[in-house]
Amino acid sequence: MPKINIVIDGHSLQAEEGTYILQAAKEVGIEIPTLCYYPHMVPYAACRICAVEARNERGWTKVVTACNYPVWEGLHVHTNTPRVLNARRMNLELLLSQSKPVPVLQKLADDLGITEPRWGYGTDTCIKCGLCVRICDEVVGAHALAFGNRGVDREITTPFHLESEDCILCGACARYCPTGHIKMTDIEGRILHSELLLGPNAAITIPFRQAVPNVPRIHTNQCIHMKTGGCMLCAKVCPKECIHFDDQDEFEEFDVGAVIVATGFQDFDPTPMLQFGYGKYPNVISAIEFEQMNSAGSPTGGKIVMENGKEPRSIAILHCIGSRDQNYHKYCSRVCCMYALKFAHLVTEKTSAEIYQLYIDMRSFGKGYEEFYQRILDEGVHVIRGKGAEVVPTKHKRADEGDLLVRCEDTLISKFREIPVDMVILCTALEARKDASDIARKLNISMGADGWFIEAHPKLAPVSTTTDGVFLAGVCQGAKDIPDTVAQAGAAAAQAMKLMSKGEIMMDAAYAVIREEFCSGCKICNDLCPYTAISYDELKKISTVNSALCKACGTCVAACPSGAIVARHFTDEQIYAQIEGILA
Amino acid sequence: MSISKLTSPDDLLRLKEQLVKERDNGRTILSVCGGTGCLACGCKGVVSALKAALKESRLEEEVELKITGCPGFCERGPLVVVYPEGIFYQKVKPADAKLIVDQTIKGGHVVNKLIYKDPLTKQGIIHEKDIPFYRKQMRLLLGMNNFLDPTSIHDFIVLGGYRSMAKALSAMTAEAIVEEIKKSGLRGRGGGGFLTGKKWASCRKSKGDPKYVICNADEGDPGAFMDRALLEGNPHLVIEGMVIGAYAIGCEEGFVYVRNEYPLAVKNLMIAIDQARDYGLLGKNILGTGFDFDLQVSRGGGAFVCGESTALMASLEGKIGEPRAKYIHTVDAGLWEKPSTLNNVETWANVPLIIDKGANWYSQIGTAGSKGTKIFALTGKVNNTGLVEVPMGITLREILYDIGGGVPGKKAFKAVQTGGPSGGTLIVETSEPDIHESLVAHGDVREDEEALNLLDLPVDFDELTKAGSMMGSGGMIVMDQDSCMVDVARYFINFLQEESCGKCIPCREGLRTMLQILNRICEGKGEMKDIDTLEEMSQVMIDTSLCQLGGSAPNPVLSTLRYFRQEYLAHIVDKRCPAGTCKELVSHTIDETCTGCHVCLEPCPTDAITGKLKELHVIDQSKCIQCGACYQVCRFDSIQRVKRGAGEAVQVKAKALWKPPQKKTAQQTAAVA
Ligand SMILES: Cc1cc2nc3c(=O)[nH]c(=O)nc-3n(C[C@H](O)[C@H](O)[C@H](O)COP(=O)(O)OP(=O)(O)OC[C@H]3O[C@@H](n4cnc5c(N)ncnc54)[C@H](O)[C@@H]3O)c2cc1C
Ligand SMILES: Cc1cc2nc3c(=O)[nH]c(=O)nc-3n(C[C@H](O)[C@H](O)[C@H](O)COP(=O)(O)O)c2cc1C
Ligand code: SF4
Ligand code: SF4
Ligand code: SF4
Ligand code: SF4
Ligand code: FES
Ligand code: FES
Repeated sequence: MPKINIVIDGHSLQAEEGTYILQAAKEVGIEIPTLCYYPHMVPYAACRICAVEARNERGWTKVVTACNYPVWEGLHVHTNTPRVLNARRMNLELLLSQSKPVPVLQKLADDLGITEPRWGYGTDTCIKCGLCVRICDEVVGAHALAFGNRGVDREITTPFHLESEDCILCGACARYCPTGHIKMTDIEGRILHSELLLGPNAAITIPFRQAVPNVPRIHTNQCIHMKTGGCMLCAKVCPKECIHFDDQDEFEEFDVGAVIVATGFQDFDPTPMLQFGYGKYPNVISAIEFEQMNSAGSPTGGKIVMENGKEPRSIAILHCIGSRDQNYHKYCSRVCCMYALKFAHLVTEKTSAEIYQLYIDMRSFGKGYEEFYQRILDEGVHVIRGKGAEVVPTKHKRADEGDLLVRCEDTLISKFREIPVDMVILCTALEARKDASDIARKLNISMGADGWFIEAHPKLAPVSTTTDGVFLAGVCQGAKDIPDTVAQAGAAAAQAMKLMSKGEIMMDAAYAVIREEFCSGCKICNDLCPYTAISYDELKKISTVNSALCKACGTCVAACPSGAIVARHFTDEQIYAQIEGILA
Repeated sequence: MSISKLTSPDDLLRLKEQLVKERDNGRTILSVCGGTGCLACGCKGVVSALKAALKESRLEEEVELKITGCPGFCERGPLVVVYPEGIFYQKVKPADAKLIVDQTIKGGHVVNKLIYKDPLTKQGIIHEKDIPFYRKQMRLLLGMNNFLDPTSIHDFIVLGGYRSMAKALSAMTAEAIVEEIKKSGLRGRGGGGFLTGKKWASCRKSKGDPKYVICNADEGDPGAFMDRALLEGNPHLVIEGMVIGAYAIGCEEGFVYVRNEYPLAVKNLMIAIDQARDYGLLGKNILGTGFDFDLQVSRGGGAFVCGESTALMASLEGKIGEPRAKYIHTVDAGLWEKPSTLNNVETWANVPLIIDKGANWYSQIGTAGSKGTKIFALTGKVNNTGLVEVPMGITLREILYDIGGGVPGKKAFKAVQTGGPSGGTLIVETSEPDIHESLVAHGDVREDEEALNLLDLPVDFDELTKAGSMMGSGGMIVMDQDSCMVDVARYFINFLQEESCGKCIPCREGLRTMLQILNRICEGKGEMKDIDTLEEMSQVMIDTSLCQLGGSAPNPVLSTLRYFRQEYLAHIVDKRCPAGTCKELVSHTIDETCTGCHVCLEPCPTDAITGKLKELHVIDQSKCIQCGACYQVCRFDSIQRVKRGAGEAVQVKAKALWKPPQKKTAQQTAAVA
């Protein structure tokens, strides 16, 4: 962009071609008052408050409006001459003769030194700046507003003075009306937030505080642009041009040398365990639901409350829901005891509720864990050895008792107990993801009966798998807590980096090769290969072997009906020669 | 003759020659004006009566009845001219048709009662060319109207129509045309007076594509109707000008923006466009030259501001007709942000003349800075009103006296207002001491300078501007001593405030406030500081209005303040209206010259006047509403408009001095006659 030399109130500066005086002045810190200007709309130049004097070197001079006068080489601008101040004052006084002294006008009057406007004040609150019409037209694209009538009768209305069907109730007009003439008070919960980006009703928000990646996201069903094709204000304010309205989910392919599988787990769904009333009683919640409620970004703002919004007076935390259970998962989920204790601690910090822990065995095996358990006991949490058996509504309820009755056998005192509580938290099992078998198949790794992936060797190769270059980390390999997950992930990363730092791998010299000229493309070999090393080349219409994956097991060699596959170093001729050698 | 497309300039020439030959039969032509003015006066009836009379005399074949557009002298309509002699009949009624046919056509005599009598010399004038109203004019454009049936493309071709276009398209380069227009010195007739050639050159240079040419036929000035007369009477001329312009600028599409109140103009224009298309003079491959151009007609809602270029373009785009700020010129970003050339009807109509006769010929007409002719709509207190086409540089005196025939009655000439509502009011003679004093005080005249005689002001763009008015689109309103200049300013400010689009503050609120101040002054409630406020406000409006409506709106106030300051002071300080028209400041009263004729009794809406026949009449001051109806009808100037409250005194004096009218004085007899 060519630069243009101009002078504003004695400051020489360079401005880009096509800039208006207003922006150029701003760059050197000179503020020119405006009433009808807004950066993201075409200048309307109706209020004439931004009048300035333009001159050239030859003495030509003219009063122009700064908001829409483009700069040119050699332009001198004077923003404060008596002529322009006079014009601004007169125009504001004329406007005030019709308008109430709303704050924007009052401030401008103060700045211009108008104490008593010559023609007094009027009663109108609309100053005809047209911002509402233009925002609805140019930005929103709904075209729901217009100016009606001519001259002194000019007014802001909807087309034909009828309730407009074009309005999408976005509230932009009310938000940008400088005088408060347009209000949207009657439309509940639809107020736009001034910072444009982040409010629960804005169409573009950062979904929650700790979101990864921590960037705003567009809610397509609320976004004006998605409705009308207009607006795009967010794109205009973003200095880095990060907003892309037409972005879609995409499939990308990467060539990689190593894969770390860290697909984790899913929560066990306790609904089928009818005895706990999950899904039936609103105040029976799962552990993960408790975690969500407890988070500062939750709808309750991190407060622990019941469905009716009240704080619970007592909570029962039931361990081993779905874990160590013949009917569901036989394994121990390993993290529940500790997080259950953590919950107890959190609840005591935030509320004064009585807490009951119902456990089978307290497994506080990690570093510092046992100490934490002791601390919880000291905090006065009721810890009961005995699995929760049933949750039912309280029958003969007392005012100071909870609605829910938890039944269990306290095995330490060998007694059957019924505990009335307001809320029940079920510590549900960690279980393998539904799609774990897909992953196993795709990556050619093995999966145990409980759904966790199997490592190559429990002691010697705890993060490797049977497929070279595929490593395991975290719960997908078996239930574990975060410290263990992180440790295992570090190990997997180290393994992957070992491969990457070399940049190459040593391969066995023996692998299968398909001789293109003999392959009929029957694909019999493709599914037979236990290492998924064979794929079909759609272009050439033949099968090919990925030599890096091939373990030279020879299955395909034996199966190929065309005899197209040979195993290097194990060709028929070589084997015959070996046999001959042995026999000789 | 069947229509076949003309596919070369030679085709056009051949058609013309053929038509001329067919028509060269010495036939009598009865040319009846069918313009809007004469339509209103009943020319349709005249036409059918003439038809019937011709039929009766079995002359339908020999005599051609031609219904033409307006030649400008609407005041005398319906007009009938008999060619080839050029016998001019005015105020013709259907009943006169038979007379014309029998006496003039069959008998070869002039019908005396229908000829025009010069109001000054009282002489009857037979031939059109001798009529003073026409004689001093130079009717390059309007002159064709008498000979044209606007719905007949053949009439136009016979007169040499489309010849210039053929020449431009086949024998000239686009650059050469732009050069020619530049050289001719043609300036826009829509008001601004911008050099047309320069405008075309910028638009031609502009990079955008496509480009558009637009004809501004919005004509919102009240009282102006030259664009209407041209479009109604000679639409092909405007089309021809536009095709030449389009070719020179490099565009293929044009628009004519006509106000909806001009139905006849729209109708004739549409017919003309269709004909031109049929003849291959519009559309694809015009005259086989490979140049394509077509025209569309768009009807405007009729708001005054829609005549402003950016508002007009917005309106053409289907948006609200509201001006937009144009620091980027429309020749670069106009209609749909594309380069656009907007010219007035009259500007376009001048183009074929220039191409035909050459820039040298054209630039010899007019003054150094203003070339060619200009059509004015002459109205107000002059004997001859109508459209007058005069060479630039003609003096006001020639227009007002030689063409206009002077002020009717015994009233004194006071001022002339030019340039439409936002033009200025010019004092013409400074003989009145009041006015002279005011001009001296304002520095317009030195004290030792006897009189400022604007009557000899050459009328052109620059001189009018210098004198504090403007050419505008050519309105010219003549005012006599009965016009109050404050009231005149108020009238125009009122018009403008009603027409302001209301977008920008200085125009919307400035005009509203100005009108309030002027109303106050006219009601005798003005204060001295009002004059300062008016002047200060005018400057702010000129400086900061978004478009020229607001920017030139203070003209009526500033020009009257300049030439008639004294009259403002009379209203403010003396609470007196010198012209006697501001109701709140005058009392109507009857002096001793009253003859007791009773004429004033009937028009008085409040029955305020009493008096026996042939006795002094008296106005009951408590009943009089100062409507002035009596003043208008009294033939003895006996009704006086005096300062408010002074009425009783005049009446007392009249009672004392009044004598019954013994015998009519010679003067009174003349007046009654
Ligand atoms: C209620 C509850 C409370 C807990 N509290 C604690 C605690 O206080 N302290 C503690 O140390 N541990 C706690 N844990 C355990 C902790 O959640 C786990 O140890 C940890 O989340 C394991 O991490 P991970 O990365 O293995 O799996 P996950 O956290 O499950 O992460 C796996 C990720 O992989 C993604 N994924 C899955 N499949 C695919 C695929 N095909 N392609 C791409 N991505 C995929 C998933 O969307 C997910 O984001 C708690 C667990 C629960 C259920
Ligand atoms: C308020 C206003 C009204 C106008 N009305 C007309 C009009 O009725 N006809 C016209 O030709 N020009 C009118 N103009 C002038 C046009 O803006 C423009 O200058 C003109 O059409 C250009 O053509 P020209 O160069 O041939 O004069 C008007 C201007 C203003 C400011
Ligand atoms: S709420 Fe939005 S769509 Fe409705 S009028 Fe206002 S800006 Fe237009
Ligand atoms: S309603 Fe508000 S935004 Fe709209 S024109 Fe009036 S003051 Fe401006
Ligand atoms: S000057 Fe008057 S007519 Fe022109 S934009 Fe402003 S308000 Fe509208
Ligand atoms: S000015 Fe009007 S109201 Fe007064 S006397 Fe004359 S006619 Fe009657
Ligand atoms: S801010 Fe420039 S005219 Fe209103
Ligand atoms: S309309 Fe007939 S002379 Fe004007």
